[in-house]
Amino acid sequence: MTTETTATDTAGTQDGGPPRRDVEKARSSRTVGNLSTAVVIVVVLLWTLVPLVWMVLGSFKNSADVTSSDPKWFFAPTMDNYKHLFSGANDLTPYLVHSIIAAGVAALLSLVLGTLAGYGLSRSAMRGKHHLSFWIISTRMAPIAAVVLPLFLMFRVAGLIDTLPGLILAYMTFNLPFAIWLMSAFFADVPPSIEESALVAGCTRWQAFWYVILPLCKAGLVTTGVLCLVFAWNDYAFATVFAGPSSQTLPIAASQLVTQTGIDWGQLTAIGTIVVLPMVLAGLAVRRWLVTGLTLGAVTGE
Amino acid sequence: MSVTAERTPARQASRPPRPPRRKSRFTFTGKLMTPGVVLLALLSILPFIALIVMSFSRVRLLGGVRLEWVGVDNWTRVLTDPDMWSSWFRTAVFLVLTLGIEMVLGIGIAIALHRVVKGRGLLLSLVLLPMFVAPVIVGLLGRYLTDSTFGLYSSILHSLGWDADILGSPTSAFAAVVLMDVWEWTPLIALITLAGLSGVNPSILEAASLDGAGYWKSLRHIVLPSISGILLVALLIRAMDAVRYFDIIFVTTNGGPADATKTIPIRLFETAFRFFDLGYAAAIGLMMLAVTIAISQAFVRILTAKGLTR
Repeated sequence: MTTETTATDTAGTQDGGPPRRDVEKARSSRTVGNLSTAVVIVVVLLWTLVPLVWMVLGSFKNSADVTSSDPKWFFAPTMDNYKHLFSGANDLTPYLVHSIIAAGVAALLSLVLGTLAGYGLSRSAMRGKHHLSFWIISTRMAPIAAVVLPLFLMFRVAGLIDTLPGLILAYMTFNLPFAIWLMSAFFADVPPSIEESALVAGCTRWQAFWYVILPLCKAGLVTTGVLCLVFAWNDYAFATVFAGPSSQTLPIAASQLVTQTGIDWGQLTAIGTIVVLPMVLAGLAVRRWLVTGLTLGAVTGE
Repeated sequence: MSVTAERTPARQASRPPRPPRRKSRFTFTGKLMTPGVVLLALLSILPFIALIVMSFSRVRLLGGVRLEWVGVDNWTRVLTDPDMWSSWFRTAVFLVLTLGIEMVLGIGIAIALHRVVKGRGLLLSLVLLPMFVAPVIVGLLGRYLTDSTFGLYSSILHSLGWDADILGSPTSAFAAVVLMDVWEWTPLIALITLAGLSGVNPSILEAASLDGAGYWKSLRHIVLPSISGILLVALLIRAMDAVRYFDIIFVTTNGGPADATKTIPIRLFETAFRFFDLGYAAAIGLMMLAVTIAISQAFVRILTAKGLTR
């Protein structure tokens, strides 16, 4: 991976020593520029963070504060919402377990199969490879609504509705092509001469792949795994069609709090926090490779 | 799922007559690819065929799944239904608005972040947060923020003198779901653009500044043209995802009020899982699929032109 951090701002280019008036002019315009940059960034941060902060705050509010008509930034925090989620009639634990199993297994299986197939694809010299690549990418990009529909019928015939294996298979419809494509992009960055020299040194092709190439692509493995996990964990459309009482996931739990009689916003913001927090941490952990991952290998760098 | 799907078996059939020297190489990569590609074929070609068959059938679910052949009925309906065309129109407006706003804001944010030297990493991390939020949570959070009695944003709007139920009237509901999508996905554009900006050769900018080009001039005439390929990639990726995801609309307005936010995926879901008209929904699904395949074709073509794919 070529990850480069070229910190070039326009200020850095002024060191050549132009006439003094130009320097002053440049300096004042730079101050204006820096000021407007600061303003833009403050506005962007407010726009980005206020909803998230408001959600987390809401999860610590009591039922009066959370729907107070006069929005409260300061209040007496309570853990009641989280306590209620894990006790009583609507225990969140099974939802949490389903989410972890469905997203985790789907991500892991996609990563394993995607790594093998991605390496094969990046090193293969077969004819019609671009057709195969195109088929893979268009499978990844197929609209969820158009995939859910036939799967619903097939799962119904196969008895996979309301089962975790069904949900895992459903998640692999988008995670497997994603993993194949992305891993092959990461492998393509490793020059073939490396495994050629491993082969000359007496490795089998499998050994060259397993002991030489794979360790070089650790970042790619982690990035692909994390993104697969995020996509599956955040899914709502598949789960809402396929999941029943024995396979419902956290996003379903959140939407079930929306009822005709009203919404318990305290609990809803608490579930929201539980859904969002692990993915934010996982996502930020691979921030350096996010661009590569989310552009499916089309763009590299910070 | 793709139109080129049927080529895979043909390729595998042509495997044996290869010359022996290349055969060993081919079978190794072929072996590695087999499990993933076979599973992917099961998960994409079978549903694709099922979708096509469904679009020519009436699907009965009660008492076991049965398909009754109805010929092109679903297709004539999907092509002549005026409601469908208004949904396509709304989908197009939604796409143009979200993509347009996200591109402009995303590029702006990237340029601002690029000017920051100290603490850029932390700022970028904060800006990226919405991307990891599950879309369904974005939608529910949006409802919380825009609720007419206790929503934070509606109370701010109220104090500015704008007093209405945001998700209750067609125009503001449409604007709200657009803005929720913008909130979640602008960071992606900013991230990709920033990667492009970091790749611009600083010595070219230096030369331009020595020649008297100001900041905006060099931005417009040097920086933006040189990252146009990356911007196009960002646009296409967002376009495909914007057709893919519909969770935000699904949990906020579910197509309402008065069909104002009823985009194609929402209509498909409603047709299939509320009215259980799965055959008709399949025809809608195939039309959506054609659109995303066209976009991914453009995406792959750009990658190939840049030599980024194999």
